[in-house]
Amino acid sequence: MSGLQEFWGFPRPDGSVGVRNYVAVISAADAVNPVARRIASLVNGTVPIYTAYGRGMKGEDGKRHVRTRAGLGRNPNVAATLVVGLEPRSAQEVADLVAATGKPVEWIAVETIGGTHNATSEGARIALQMVITASRIRRVPASLSDLIVGVECGGSDGTSGIASNPATGQVADWLVEAGGTVILSERTEIIGGEEILARNAVSAKVADEIRAVVARTQEHARHHGIELTNLVPDNIEGGLSTQEEKALGAILKGGTTPLQEVVGSSQKPSKKGLVFMDAHAPGTENITALAGGGAQVILFSTGLGNPVACPIAPTIKVSGNPNTVVELRDNIDVDVSSIIRGEKSIAEAAELLYQEFLQVANGGMTRSEILGDEEVAISGYCHS
Amino acid sequence: MEKALTLNEMDNVATAIAPLEPGESVAVPVGKERIEVKIREPIPFGHKFAISDIVDGGVVVKYGHDIGAATSEIRAGQHVHVHNVKTLRGVYS
Repeated sequence: MSGLQEFWGFPRPDGSVGVRNYVAVISAADAVNPVARRIASLVNGTVPIYTAYGRGMKGEDGKRHVRTRAGLGRNPNVAATLVVGLEPRSAQEVADLVAATGKPVEWIAVETIGGTHNATSEGARIALQMVITASRIRRVPASLSDLIVGVECGGSDGTSGIASNPATGQVADWLVEAGGTVILSERTEIIGGEEILARNAVSAKVADEIRAVVARTQEHARHHGIELTNLVPDNIEGGLSTQEEKALGAILKGGTTPLQEVVGSSQKPSKKGLVFMDAHAPGTENITALAGGGAQVILFSTGLGNPVACPIAPTIKVSGNPNTVVELRDNIDVDVSSIIRGEKSIAEAAELLYQEFLQVANGGMTRSEILGDEEVAISGYCHS
Repeated sequence: MEKALTLNEMDNVATAIAPLEPGESVAVPVGKERIEVKIREPIPFGHKFAISDIVDGGVVVKYGHDIGAATSEIRAGQHVHVHNVKTLRGVYS
């Protein structure tokens, strides 16, 4: 690894540092998604955050929805948040959790403000003021130890475990060495690799927690009569044959440093170093959970190509498939197919990803940010 | 450029990093050695083939770890995929 250990980021009242400076317009329930979208469309500098569901949710589903919506507002990449609710209680619940960071947050409720027009005009006025304030925050020198980086893989194939995942893992090791935090996730994607993670855990307690993630996922599948597999059709087309094969390749992207902690979906790590997040594996849901847990940047390793990115956490696509880096060149930020061709070692190719990561942390845009291939999804109850 | 890679010297399968044709002879790097494997059927890019014979029910090893069990006898040079290997970790209804 070469180069600087610092980046320039946006300081937040809670001491965290953003790599972006968004004003988030967060919908608290799907019934008012159109209002949140409309407000964001009227105010440059805002990002609408909306997803299906959110109304009348029970148990862990409801908790996860609130935690994730609030977590996206709490993310250091967000300078200020406007929560749009159907009624006051649910809007305020999300807003209060965001307010704990000390960042500006306000909420409106469509039912009590007088309907769509009033909500839109009042929301747009609030958001306008938030953008003015946010746009005056300047980047300051920050440390890589201020960063939480999520690692994710999607559209995996036979090259993922050989090239893009180990290259991502090498970058993960460098980030941990620099004092940062790396979140490995995707619960179904560790089945068959959990003993490797457990052996690498800092304590017997953390080892047991990682085994428990797999046990819960398998028990859930048995209970619901679901055939549990992490393989999707493009994985099989790409040459992956079993879930343990996919898992052994997938866990490489977390690197080799000791596993410090296991956290729940959209839960912020309390430790530095490598952390596992017990969250759903599919791409959009997982990157939402990672950002909900505070990840400022996501390294997204792909074999066959998956364009999706998180709207508030810049998502860097890295691929080692020589065909994908040509055919999906609009979507791939970092080409590590040199590993497959034998031209570069994993560490040499990882250096390209690391340099791109530093560029993005300092404000350089990812392809998905430019293309607008950004989406949010909060998982339902099933353990996929 | 190599045509196939192994990831651990315990592996009994290699990953094709170029499409391979039947009859082709491929020198597969395994640790510090090279094993000559005669390809028996088309192997698409990114797919696996056996580098030694695997008995019916035998474990398939990649990354130095079990990735499943053979559901039929697999000869060196044959395609190893969902048609002849199954997970040992699955939950089926």
